[in-house]
Amino acid sequence: MTAEQPSGAEPFESTVDGLARTLAEVDADGALHETAAAAFPGTRAAFLRRSVAAAVAGVGGLFTAESAEAADAAMTKNDIAILRFDLVLEYLQAGLYTEVERLGALTPKTLGWARVVGAHERAHVAALKGLLGRNIVPSPTFNYGNVSSNERAFIRTAVGFEDLTAALLKWQAPRLDSRSIVAAAVSLHSVETRHAAWIRHLIGLRPAANAFDKPASQQRMARLIASTNFIASRPRLASRTRPRLTG
Amino acid sequence: MLAGGALVAGSAALGGHATAAAPTPSRALDEKIFTFALLLERLQAAFYTEAVGVGALRGELREFAEVVGGHEREHVRFLEEALGGRAEPRPTFEFGSATQERQRFLDTAVLLEDTGVAAYNGQAANLTKKSLAAAAEIVSVEGRHAAWISDLAGKDPAPRAADPGATAEDVAATLRSTGFIKSS
Repeated sequence: MTAEQPSGAEPFESTVDGLARTLAEVDADGALHETAAAAFPGTRAAFLRRSVAAAVAGVGGLFTAESAEAADAAMTKNDIAILRFDLVLEYLQAGLYTEVERLGALTPKTLGWARVVGAHERAHVAALKGLLGRNIVPSPTFNYGNVSSNERAFIRTAVGFEDLTAALLKWQAPRLDSRSIVAAAVSLHSVETRHAAWIRHLIGLRPAANAFDKPASQQRMARLIASTNFIASRPRLASRTRPRLTG
Repeated sequence: MLAGGALVAGSAALGGHATAAAPTPSRALDEKIFTFALLLERLQAAFYTEAVGVGALRGELREFAEVVGGHEREHVRFLEEALGGRAEPRPTFEFGSATQERQRFLDTAVLLEDTGVAAYNGQAANLTKKSLAAAAEIVSVEGRHAAWISDLAGKDPAPRAADPGATAEDVAATLRSTGFIKSS
């Protein structure tokens, strides 16, 4: 607190710091360290911090190799199914944006967007692989047709993908079992909403159309992916576990 | 960052508490988190409402304040209804020149929206499933606001591959640094 606001100090203490204090004992940091320590034996409480640091650096996965080994042992089938679906989706997006960057056929503004967002999606691929450990699904082969070189086709696809990816992660978040994975998933979710708002702004659409963004199911995303015909060869995604709403 | 030493010390002191009993999501905990979120949403809503009222913003910045102000007021309404009679009284805010000067408005809006994203992300895993589903619909829009205002401010709309969550203490420290909250 700075000295020039003496009159505001007292009430503020009761308003904000009081609330923060009541939350502090249950804060994500503390609570999730506990969860993490149980789910990730031998990794210590710093795991979440490390995950954030790795994601921020944009290199490697959210988790280290040894923690991933422990993670896949502790993860529920339900969580594995959700993360595998997300991994394929991230492969698909990262592949498209990387190809856009390589071809360099779009406008400079769109290329700039694809460059930054492509790096994020590649970081998400690495993060999800780290979480899944031996449960990763291999990348399918993609064929993007003219979407990676045609401005209008690309924009339409990118807006659809980013809006729907954000909606999908909203649908998945309350269906995840592990609270540690919830914390990781929401940190990706808001970045997807930033991507969506950014590209909408780029083409003159309102970046935030509503006060609340509704979720969209995995089935809906699967239909969108199928409609693009981007997947030239399928990975083995067989899993009998369907995500469920718990709690 | 803000008051780093004090926060580190505070976190260390609280560490013992947190490990003693890992709290699980509950309706009571949802209420605490929503109470904190309501303060943040009220601050945002009041800021944009005042900025539009003052009328100093021009062009798309004015549009941003009008649209986003409407969203934040809806978030306030949602949280007040969720809390029912247990919502705390609305504090008094003083924004000074932040609602009048273009650059101060930009800086403040970027800070408030980024803080909103970090605050919700930090609490997501502590919410019950039902409240998490609702909070996700809100933070999604905060992320869009953050990207929109960052673009208008000439900053990177998506500066990182992940938006890490902030602790309640860090959020409180950020809000404190603005000096906007005058009474409760």
